[in-house]
Amino acid sequence: MNERRPSSPGSKRNGNRAPYVAKLLAEKKVVVCCGAGGVGKTTTAAALGLGAAMLGRKALVLTIDPARRLAEAIGNPEAARAPVPVPDTRLAASGVRGTLATWMVDPRVVFEQMVRRLTHDEAQANAILQNRIYRALADLVAGMQEYTAAEALYGFVESGDYDIVILDTPPSRNALDFLEAPRKLSLFLDERIVGVFLPGSGGGGIFRNRARQIVTGVFTRVFGEGFFDEVQQFLAAFSGMFSSMRSHAESVRTLLKSDASSFLVVTSPEPAALAEAAHLEKTLTNEMLLPFHGFVLNRSWAYTRGLASPSDIVLPPGASRVDHAALAKLELLAESELKLAERDRKLLAQLRDHTPVGQAVATPQLDGDIDFAALMLIADSLVSPAPVEDALDNR
Amino acid sequence: MSSLSQILARRVLLVTGKGGVGKTTMTAAIARQAAAAGKRVLAAEISYESPQSDAGEATLTSPLAVALGTSPLVDEPRLVAHDAPTGLLSAARLSPLAGHLKFLRDTLPVRLLADAAMKSAAVRRFFIAAPTLAELGIVYRLLDLLDQTRAGGAPEWDLVVCDLPATGHALALAQVPQALVSILRAGPIHAAAQRGLEVLRDRARTTSVLVTLPEPLPVSEAIELHDGLHKLAIDCALVVLNRVPPNPFTPDERAAIERIVPDRSRMLGARRLPRIDRANAAHDRLARELALPVRVVREIEDDVVARVGRALAEGAS
Repeated sequence: MNERRPSSPGSKRNGNRAPYVAKLLAEKKVVVCCGAGGVGKTTTAAALGLGAAMLGRKALVLTIDPARRLAEAIGNPEAARAPVPVPDTRLAASGVRGTLATWMVDPRVVFEQMVRRLTHDEAQANAILQNRIYRALADLVAGMQEYTAAEALYGFVESGDYDIVILDTPPSRNALDFLEAPRKLSLFLDERIVGVFLPGSGGGGIFRNRARQIVTGVFTRVFGEGFFDEVQQFLAAFSGMFSSMRSHAESVRTLLKSDASSFLVVTSPEPAALAEAAHLEKTLTNEMLLPFHGFVLNRSWAYTRGLASPSDIVLPPGASRVDHAALAKLELLAESELKLAERDRKLLAQLRDHTPVGQAVATPQLDGDIDFAALMLIADSLVSPAPVEDALDNR
Repeated sequence: MSSLSQILARRVLLVTGKGGVGKTTMTAAIARQAAAAGKRVLAAEISYESPQSDAGEATLTSPLAVALGTSPLVDEPRLVAHDAPTGLLSAARLSPLAGHLKFLRDTLPVRLLADAAMKSAAVRRFFIAAPTLAELGIVYRLLDLLDQTRAGGAPEWDLVVCDLPATGHALALAQVPQALVSILRAGPIHAAAQRGLEVLRDRARTTSVLVTLPEPLPVSEAIELHDGLHKLAIDCALVVLNRVPPNPFTPDERAAIERIVPDRSRMLGARRLPRIDRANAAHDRLARELALPVRVVREIEDDVVARVGRALAEGAS
């Protein structure tokens, strides 16, 4: 799966100049952004989507984070039942040729659509959707984001409505939980397991009947008499969908492992985020055998090219003591900023050395809230990265 | 107002906030502080295992263990030897599996049956895969730890400091028992969920510390999280504003900079001024909108490069 391609775009030496991310955005069907919380994953996902649109593709960005950053940056509504396109006029005004739509995945909508797609008729769908247990489960935040992220991703890729789908992963402790979710679901939906809970499905021999007795005994005691009946009804209503859901889950895994997909690990220069990034890279590459293609060092100070230095400022003869003190303090800040810039360049070099197949790119430190213009800047720095090393020569 | 000693007088402290704001470091710091104040403290990390891992196995990443400078956490509390001269600080992970096993043992008439049930693939998979039961397992494990006593009847743990996962999951910890109480009208799960809710909602026993960063969006999210906790009737005692950049300028000097440096976005050093302004605004907004004390923690610029070098080296092995 994760084959090492010696001819990967961009050699290491002048790697930052090579449009590596641009190549991914031009060729892949799926790009998944992983990373610790708070590193700007959602912003990066949005910028990647915008980058793909710059390259003329029809891009969709799926975000999971209920933090609404993307909605705020792009100006799309928070709660929508389907992806919302960024107005073409807005994109055209910025010289973007392709299209961009975004959606904050709503687990309830994804589940409902899945139920409707997989059931045979309206009555069966409604029976499930109105089941008390189903409704209670669908209302919960926890876990549902993981289950539905993968499902939504697959649905949109299959629909053929978009050239590329960028997925911002859910904010769980383990950033890769969502990859496990379909498998977890398919484990759970294994008929041999679920069958034990189903009432009177017959067959299966003595062993299975005994298993059912044990399980019924345990669960009746644990959940109470009435509830166990309800669980059985719920599972019975659902059971017709199990095999399709399972094969669906398998298809998601196949898609994500294929050459059509790419995983990027997003990190900020924070120690915790970097440690998590290293862990994610290892898990993706060695354990999950997924196509890891590089790091994005977000909010880096690495770019200092063309900046003026406070030491070049000459105060007029009559300048006050306060002016001198202020300038001296600004020089101290400038010094520490240069240290940060150097730190981030070293980080970038380290990340690059650690990415045999892919690349590491940096996005600039930007001021304040991310608006559309800022998003364009980040997208630009991803698609055609400025050479940060040259800045070292200036100093 | 809550002084730290009042906060530490509770039994459960939930450290919460969006991902990446420094919850884990804060959990470790608070736990150390409590141990130094003479409390028997358990620092706990919530861990949802993947289906194939076993109860006793250490989790792959254990950020709290790293923050405490100890080996990866397991279900059974272990003393944090390093850096804790008091001998009062222990650490553990809170996993659903440990809670489920305890729950079944408490519920089923024979202990053997509980162990057998957890060995049954059907039961085990059901407990792991059914979305609500993971959270309930964690809450049950927390209750179990709170109930543990030493010889003489005093609690084994005066205080459990929990490093909660990202926002959605943190709310789920209380949301789940609430949902279960409404779905299940009776029975052992109803009772367990009910008890969990009672403990989480009792301000005398449980409170939360909200950690956030000095930027507009994290502050908005912190305020939303605070409202979410409030709706779930969970007390919040303190907001920690983490990684606040130092501000070297007096107001006069700051005004001078505005005069001396016209194009501040193209000036080294001056690029950091907007961050300082946002940090001030963040502090003011939190103080204004939440009726809670706000504690400021300054940013430290440490040697990230060396650290990430180590992390990458570990990752490569």
